[in-house]
Amino acid sequence: MFEAARRAYAEAEIDPRTQIDSFVCASEDLQEGTSIFDEYVPDQLGAVQRPVHTVASDGLFALATGVMLIRSGIADTVAVEAHSKASEMRTPGRLDAFATDPVLDRPLGTSALALAGLEMQRYLHVSGHTVADCAEVARRNREHALANPRASYAEAVDPAPLFDPLTREQAARSADGCVVVVLAADREGVAVEGVGWSQDAPSIQSRNWDRAVATERAGAMAYAQAGVAAGDVDLAEVDDTFAYKQLQHLDALGLAELSTDRVDPSGGALGEGYLHEGNGLARVLACVERLRRGEAEIALAQSWRGLPSTSAAVAILRGAA
Amino acid sequence: MSGRRVAVIGAGMTRFVRRAQETGKELSFLAASKALESAGITLADVDAVCLTSAPDAFDGVHRKGDYLSDGAGAWGKPFIRTYVGGGSGVFTPIQGWYTVASGIADVVLVVAEEKMSSCQPHPQGAFLTIFDNMIERPLGPNLLWIFALEMNRYMQAYGLDKRDIASVAVKNKRNAADHPSALLGEAEITVEDVLASETLAWPVQRLDVSPISDGAAAIVMASEDVASRLTDRPVWVQGVGWNLDTTYWTNRDLAYPQYVENAARMAYDMAGVTEPRKQIHVAEPYDPFDYKELHHLEGLLLFDRGTAPEAAAAGVTARDGDLPVCPSGGLLGVGNPIAAAGLMKVAELFWQLRGEAGARQVPGTPERGLAQAWGDLMQVGTVVVMGTEGGPSPTASAATPPVAPRATALREEAFRTAEGAVTIDELDLAYEWDAGEAIGAFLEALRDGRIVATVCTACGRTLVPPRVFCERCFRPTDSWTQVPDAGRVETFSICHVRWDMVPLDPPEIPAVIRLDGTSEGGFLHKLGGVEPDAVSIGMEVEAVWRPVGERTGSILDIAYFRPRRGDAR
Repeated sequence: MFEAARRAYAEAEIDPRTQIDSFVCASEDLQEGTSIFDEYVPDQLGAVQRPVHTVASDGLFALATGVMLIRSGIADTVAVEAHSKASEMRTPGRLDAFATDPVLDRPLGTSALALAGLEMQRYLHVSGHTVADCAEVARRNREHALANPRASYAEAVDPAPLFDPLTREQAARSADGCVVVVLAADREGVAVEGVGWSQDAPSIQSRNWDRAVATERAGAMAYAQAGVAAGDVDLAEVDDTFAYKQLQHLDALGLAELSTDRVDPSGGALGEGYLHEGNGLARVLACVERLRRGEAEIALAQSWRGLPSTSAAVAILRGAA
Repeated sequence: MSGRRVAVIGAGMTRFVRRAQETGKELSFLAASKALESAGITLADVDAVCLTSAPDAFDGVHRKGDYLSDGAGAWGKPFIRTYVGGGSGVFTPIQGWYTVASGIADVVLVVAEEKMSSCQPHPQGAFLTIFDNMIERPLGPNLLWIFALEMNRYMQAYGLDKRDIASVAVKNKRNAADHPSALLGEAEITVEDVLASETLAWPVQRLDVSPISDGAAAIVMASEDVASRLTDRPVWVQGVGWNLDTTYWTNRDLAYPQYVENAARMAYDMAGVTEPRKQIHVAEPYDPFDYKELHHLEGLLLFDRGTAPEAAAAGVTARDGDLPVCPSGGLLGVGNPIAAAGLMKVAELFWQLRGEAGARQVPGTPERGLAQAWGDLMQVGTVVVMGTEGGPSPTASAATPPVAPRATALREEAFRTAEGAVTIDELDLAYEWDAGEAIGAFLEALRDGRIVATVCTACGRTLVPPRVFCERCFRPTDSWTQVPDAGRVETFSICHVRWDMVPLDPPEIPAVIRLDGTSEGGFLHKLGGVEPDAVSIGMEVEAVWRPVGERTGSILDIAYFRPRRGDAR
């Protein structure tokens, strides 16, 4: 966290002790193994005795929160942090199971990951996509990742079945890392034009299994704020925790026709490694880098919180003119 | 401030009970429904939902926010759970405020829920994992320790009388006798009752402490144009503030909550409050322990340091006193379902400022009030200032009574085993934490019988526990040094119970110890080789090391600290 924050502040030419008005962090207690993880963030962000709060969510929700703080007028400059130290979690499968309903679902002993197999099966059935299409997403994202120095899994290939029809190579693998983004009210640079977020039913029993409806709603909210249409987007970094999710998310955002070299050019979580609650900010970072290089004008970053969650968030970013 | 004005237009809550038959989702639904009813709107009018709830470990549910979301009315709506430990209940209205002030939503539903009773054998278990996993958890600290350590330091710093502090518990439990949601309202309780209650971790006694509880609270917040359309009695959010201090709680003076003052100043500045003692007419500071209400009143600049206890004992903070404090009955009386208890305070302000608090109504016409919560490791302050700006409208309709609370309390004996409950024994999550650069070196030195520190040349501090960066200067620290394995007691407690309330005999003596040669504060350890009665703040102590062959590179390589005998190394 200290390393990512120092780099972000140096790049923004900003002193966190005096020039940042508010700090927003994203984390979940049981992922960290610490109750009230908010306790363990201020020092390494330069945020001691400053306004700091945690959103128990993905980093893209923290970014949306930062945008709200600035629009409300209470802050001009906000630092947003999200991270993963997933390597410390020795029982990730059990952790996922702990996110299911304790009375109805957990006694079945079904892995939360199995929900991905169920959802993929249903998605292929309603969308007409094939297992081969999904395998192609995984192959392509890993190929994209070859050019990304942050990527950990550019070359990982393991066709072993996971939860049929899902295979191991179509599921992103955990990585450790941290992303810090500095938002400012009146600065030149990449602009956050719109943010949106939503969720479907938390209950496995009553959610929509056909479409990523939370991403549809989050996208509609962000597009409306930004005043742009899906057709204006020329770069997308969307959640690809599982290969089929990339296709499903592009459908939900109206981006199914976007050229494949404009989708997750960073390699996504399949190629970079999955940062858990840090995944959304990793997608934002990948967009910002390309917008700054002038390789795109309007970028969309999307995240989904992973199984068994239905929560999703979207940000629309515009490059400096 | 360029954002839009925001009002609270409705509030509701459940009863607070020791163990509710309802699930967390159902409690959220009950409170949210009552708040919507109170505002005269339906869920269809709500643009976004803000939720909070304290540790997921209570419920044994990972991503508790997502799990609770449909009960809180968030299906298909923008929804975020914010979380600042015990400060969360007064933070969610701040979240509601910025969600509306930013223009993202016109109407938000703000919900705070807590179901502590799911965590067995005792909800304190959820707090075992709030401590530093390298240098504190191996000592087996529980939540009572840190309150007892802070309370002792506070009493010592100002020479306080425990009778005066106990008067807060009496006031709040008596006030709560008039609250229909209250778990521990007691109209007849006396200071003698508090002083005679069981000692848990000296100086903390059982009646100094708020009860663990289940419950939920909710409010509705709206933009100015919507609020003025829906009600002639909006209660405006005039100021918000929040502030988080360093993780190293043992490195600061526990006698004064500077972070609460920082949060209060932020809220006062926004609200245009320049003389809080004149301009705040009713206050709901956070009171999980009786001394905390006083500590917070001082941090909120409503009393001079060290003077709140005597004022409380003199009746200044009574419901009919000069500054009514916790007229609701607070956490000590209404109950402490953590996040819900904070939002209950904001709901109380809403009712007090609208003149709707019934038997709890403070005399006169309060125009401005303050709610505050506290949390994390003696670390975070959250403050909301609300007001009617001229008092209730003269055309206001007759006061409506506070919403009828629900929540089905299970019988006391059902606290540990309830018929129909589903038991899942294994919260068997396993972690393997990396010690990191600084603490890794610290633990390695302990194996050799040495205590090492880092030095920041910019601020001149010598830091134990060491870190690779200075949190104040926000730069890497410059060098390592060795410090003596002796120092003095900053504060201590004599703890008679384990985290699950099983008696401890002999008691444990946790202490914050400041080592010679370090800059400030100290670190957490235990005292041994001394009678509990003989311990005092300022006592000189030295480390007792485990035999070389038994050391493992752990904080436990120091067995304990004892009164100093020989020359320190």
